[in-house]
Amino acid sequence: RASSTVQGRERQSSVAMTTPTTFWRLAGMSYVQFVTRASSTVRAGLKEPAKSKAMAQESFSYNASKWSAGEQGDKVAVTALGKAGL
Amino acid sequence: AVAGLSPLLPPVPPLGSHQPPTMLALRRTLPTVSRRVSRCMSSAAEASDGSMTLNFNLPHETIYSEAKVSQVIVPGAAGEYGITADHVPIVAQLKPGVLQIMHEGAEAEKYFVAGGFSLTHENSVTDISCPEAVKLDDIDSAAVTSNYEAAKSAFSSAEAGSVAAAEAQIDIEVNRAMGAAIGLSLN
Repeated sequence: RASSTVQGRERQSSVAMTTPTTFWRLAGMSYVQFVTRASSTVRAGLKEPAKSKAMAQESFSYNASKWSAGEQGDKVAVTALGKAGL
Repeated sequence: AVAGLSPLLPPVPPLGSHQPPTMLALRRTLPTVSRRVSRCMSSAAEASDGSMTLNFNLPHETIYSEAKVSQVIVPGAAGEYGITADHVPIVAQLKPGVLQIMHEGAEAEKYFVAGGFSLTHENSVTDISCPEAVKLDDIDSAAVTSNYEAAKSAFSSAEAGSVAAAEAQIDIEVNRAMGAAIGLSLN
């Protein structure tokens, strides 16, 4: 476990260096996922009009495009992650 | 180094200095008291008005940039602490809690932060970065109470150690902290 090759490095080896001690690490979450969830909870507890303004931070959208022969194809809005593979 | 050591003691060269023996001999003849006093101070003695500089940023908004404030009370994950001018450099992860910014001669300005990090540097500059920070007046006590109850039932019905249980636990802790910030006692 101590040595790891550059390619094909297992994801677990970087986390297994020390025993995870926070409940979110033990559940498999990263710090970013943890703090994003906490931010979401804060926004859910707000009054209007601050709530609508803050909820804008939560919205996200994806565009996907296919590349062929070095050329980028048309961008298509992704409505569901299952369809993101095009 | 402790101020008040006898000036008759030979000067101690600073750690990591490699000086030839002749230089050491010369140093013995120089007055030592003033150099011991200057080594006690953490930084150069510049005239300062006792205020610290605060940079408080969210991803979508800069709340304070190079603002002169007198004190900031930071909700560190390992404990709350206050920062004033000339504070020792410290880096802290923040827990969901209240950040208080004291301006000169005014009431403390409070924000509820969801998390983030606070970095205090040697020159009395503090950088605080949070993913979300809200004013306490914008917190809805009814929403916090109902979200707290929903999180408790989600936690009890979730599989132990799963992501759903962890998310419910985050909701419980954040709502409890928000309630405490506005004077609600949620259990």
